[in-house]
Order: sequence, then C-alpha cells, then structure tokens
Amino acid sequence: MTAHRPQAGFERAKARFFMLCLAPSLAVLALVTLAPALFLVVSSLTPLDLTRPDTVGDFSRPLENYRLMMADGRLANSVWVQAKLSFWTVLLQLLIGFGLALLLNSRTRFLEALRTVFLIPMVLPPIVVAIIWKVIYTPDISPMHWALASLGFEVPSLITDPGWALTAIIIADTWQWFPFTMLMTLAALQMMPQELIDAAKVDGATAWQMTWHVTLPFLKGVLLVAGLFRLIDSIKAFPLIFILTDGGPGSVTEVTNYYSFQQAFNFSLLGYSSAITTVLLAASVLISWAIIRSIGWGHRE
Amino acid sequence: MNRGLARERRILNIAALVLAAMAMAPFLWLLQMSFKTNAQIFTFPPELFFAPTLENYAALWETDFRRSFVNSLVVSTAATVLPMLLGVPAAYALSRWQARAAGSISLWILASRMAPPIAFTIPYFLAYRHLGLIDTWAGLVLIYLTFNLSLVIWMMRPFFDQLPQALEEAAWIDGATTAQGFFRIVLPLAAPGLAATAILCFLFAWNDFFFALILTRTEAMTAPVAVVNFMNYEGWEWGRIAAGGTMVMLPVLVFSLLVRRYLVHGLTGGAVKG
Repeated sequence: MTAHRPQAGFERAKARFFMLCLAPSLAVLALVTLAPALFLVVSSLTPLDLTRPDTVGDFSRPLENYRLMMADGRLANSVWVQAKLSFWTVLLQLLIGFGLALLLNSRTRFLEALRTVFLIPMVLPPIVVAIIWKVIYTPDISPMHWALASLGFEVPSLITDPGWALTAIIIADTWQWFPFTMLMTLAALQMMPQELIDAAKVDGATAWQMTWHVTLPFLKGVLLVAGLFRLIDSIKAFPLIFILTDGGPGSVTEVTNYYSFQQAFNFSLLGYSSAITTVLLAASVLISWAIIRSIGWGHRE
Repeated sequence: MNRGLARERRILNIAALVLAAMAMAPFLWLLQMSFKTNAQIFTFPPELFFAPTLENYAALWETDFRRSFVNSLVVSTAATVLPMLLGVPAAYALSRWQARAAGSISLWILASRMAPPIAFTIPYFLAYRHLGLIDTWAGLVLIYLTFNLSLVIWMMRPFFDQLPQALEEAAWIDGATTAQGFFRIVLPLAAPGLAATAILCFLFAWNDFFFALILTRTEAMTAPVAVVNFMNYEGWEWGRIAAGGTMVMLPVLVFSLLVRRYLVHGLTGGAVKG
C-alpha cells in the first residue's frame, strides 16, 4: 500500500474539482429561483400597490390578502374556469395522443416521417400558435368560417361568444399539445415487451381486446405522468388566452394565472397578486410531488 | 403478409395521412397568408394558386421588428451560452459524485421547471425596477436562467451517466488531473448531448413571450412581443402579422426537428426517455 498517500491526495483534488464544478451553478440557481420565491411569499404578506408608495413593506396585517381571497368571487370563478380548462384539455390530449400513438406505432418509413409532421404544433412558438388560432377564429379571414358559411352555417366568432369562448381555447390548446402525449405514449409503446403481444395473440385476442386488456394496462403509468405534466402546464396557460380572448368575454376564460397577471400588471395590486400566485405555486409543487411519487424521478436508474 | 393485413395497413396509412393533413392545416394557412396581399387575405373562396408576394416581409423589415429580431437573437444566444458554461460542469459533477445529494438537487430542479412563470415575474419585476434592469438584454438573460440552467443540468446528466467512468480513470492513471480528464476525454465524447442541449436552450429562450412582455418596453423588446404589437397598435395588418409569425417560427421549426429525439426528455425534465 505504498500508493496510499498520493491516492488520498488525488481523492481530495477530485472532490475539490467536483465542488468547483457544482458550486457556481447551485449558487446561481439559488439566486434566480429560491430568492425570488421567498420574495414572493414575503410580498404576499403586504398590501403592495405600486400606485401607493406607503404600501411597500407594510406588514401590519400580514394575512389580509389571504382573507380577501376567500371572499373574492372573481377568484373563485377563475378557479372553476381553470378546472374546466384543465379537465377538458388533459382528457382530450390523452385520448388523441393515445389514439394517434397506436395508429403510428409501426416501424415503416412512411409512418416515421408522419410522426415528425405531427410534432409541429408542439414545437411552434406559443405566440405563433395563438396567432394561428386568432386567424381561424376571426370570421373575415377565417377558412373555417368560410367553409361553415358555404355549408349554410353562419356562425358568430367563437372567441367573442360567451358560450363558446372557453371551448375555442380548449380546441386550440388541444391542437398545440396532443403531440406531447402522443410522443410519450409512442416512447412507452416501443418498450412494450414482444412476449406480451405474442402471448395475447396466441390466446386469440382481437385488436380491441388487445388494446383494452394488454396495451392500456401497460401504458397506465406513462399516461398518468403525461396527464400530470399537462395538468401542471394547463395551470400556466397564458399566450392563447392573452391573444384570443384576454380573459373574456366577461370573465368566462379568465383562469387563475391570468387573473393574477391582471391584478399585478393591469391594476398594480402586486401584494394581492403575490398571494394568489403563492397558492398557485403551492398547487404546482404538490402536483410535482405527485409526479415524483409516481415515477421515482431523481433516483439513479 | 396476407392480403387482408396489407389492405388493413393501407387503410390505416391513409387515415394517418388524412389526420396529419388536418393537424398541419392551421399552420399551413398562416404560412400561405404571409405571401398574400391584404386584399387576397380577405378573398374567399381562397385562391389556391396565386403569385406569392414578399411585400409583407419587406414592409415588416422597415419597422422596429428588425431591432426586435436582433434582440431575440442576442438574448437567446446569451441565454444559451451562460447556462451551458455553468450547467455542464455541474451536470458532470452530479453524474460522477455522490448520488445522495444529486437526488435532492434533482427535486429542486424539477420544481423550478414546474413553477408558474408569474411566480418569478412579480419578484423580478419589483427587483428590476430598483436595479434598472427593466427593458435590458441583461434582465432577460438573467430571468431565462430560471429555466435554462435547470434544463442544462437535467439534459446533460444522463449523457454523462452513459459514458463509462473507466475512460477518465484510465487518463487519471496516466497522470491527468480531474480537470484534464473532464475537458480532454469526457467533453468531446458528450458532444452530441451538448449540441442538443444548446439547441433546446436557444428554443426555450426564443419562444418566451410572458417574461419579455412584462420585463421589456421598446429597447429590448423581443420578436414574439413585437409581432403581438402589430395586433394592438397598428390596426389589423394581417399580412404583416403572418409574416412576423413566420419569421419567429422558422428558426424554431428547423432546429427543433433536428433535436426531436430529445424533445420529450427536455420537456419532462428527464421523467421519460424519448
């Protein structure tokens, strides 16, 4: 064991190098994510309003914002709108993504090329997606309205109609994100063991039985994770609502995230908005925790 | 393969093709609009064959959009280089060092991916008003670190995990330092991962709308915000809006199809291997 001492020296040098690699990133990450999150919680305890300088750092009634939230009917409405938007977009994206994945799950060159085509909505900048649907929902220049009119249906603009505006957002969001659930399902399908498929075939399973009793149970986990990811992202919905409806008409498409944005940057009520956002942040951390629980992310394979 | 199966396959292929065309139609509509005059945009039934015009693009380039486009390029490039410099060594250390610390850091990284952007926007907005960082390149690059630094770490760690440690150990035995092993042996082998990660960073910064909307005014305004301004202030210049939208999406389309293998991985924070 003559090599023992230099070996220990090398181990120390190695640890020092790894520390040097890691420390700057962790310091910056703490500065850009943890510090602001803390700041957010602190400002939620004040009535901060940029038009009233005396509200800065006023901690006399720290829970006032949270008490106001309880009595805010527009906030309650925004949570309900959020629930409807999340439910329908996640459900539709899972169904369409799953269906398309089954259809495309074959290693022919034709289908591989088509897969790439289906990815396009997801990789477009969100703002371009919003513009595309603004065009489709604007009767003067919309191919959809023209086609409907030539079939004899004169339809009003969906995004200005209180009965249709949320549906219009749901359609656009589903178009943008079905490729995500499709990709995740396809990735899982390709890992499906051949024995499983062969065994079912030997037992004489029809295509439907195969999907229902073999494929679906195998995909349960990945569909759950895909759904949770889309659920979290649906809480962040912004560009589509900003461009298409601005939360309206009235407040039928005003989700909580959007309501918070308006309180902060249209009405300058940053303290109140911070309180709403703190609750949103807590909700998304809770869903992240559910994701970690269901897949054990963060552990080494 | 028997004839019944072949027919079934053909029917499924046609169904897939029809669905793909339906999924593509909204996107193609915007693309063709950008090559039409405003009068043609309002003409229905639409002309399938028309002489494409570049006048929308020419008009667009005469406005402030040009500066916004440059802003987007500069900010997205900086918001790629900086996180790569910080994050790549960190990912290497996490891959090779104690796994216990790595677990809790991964949790933190996922949480910052999940946080709603408005949670960061309010504190940054308040801080930037004091620091004079509103409407600056530096302000945008800094807030883009919130997602891109995490992205680099979670994208690169699995790449390093895949490289056998024996490679560096051989170099260490030959007298190389840990740093030399990293720079000369590991980094060159991780080149494909580095390229994919850099492209994703660029895309996420380029696509941002929300942060730029709130933290910029005129000087540092990025292209996505500039396009939206054509809707608000200059009436409904549909041709110009379509041209601007096309210019914002073209680089993204080219790049993201290059890295499509890594898209799911980048979007889910490594939860799923695409």
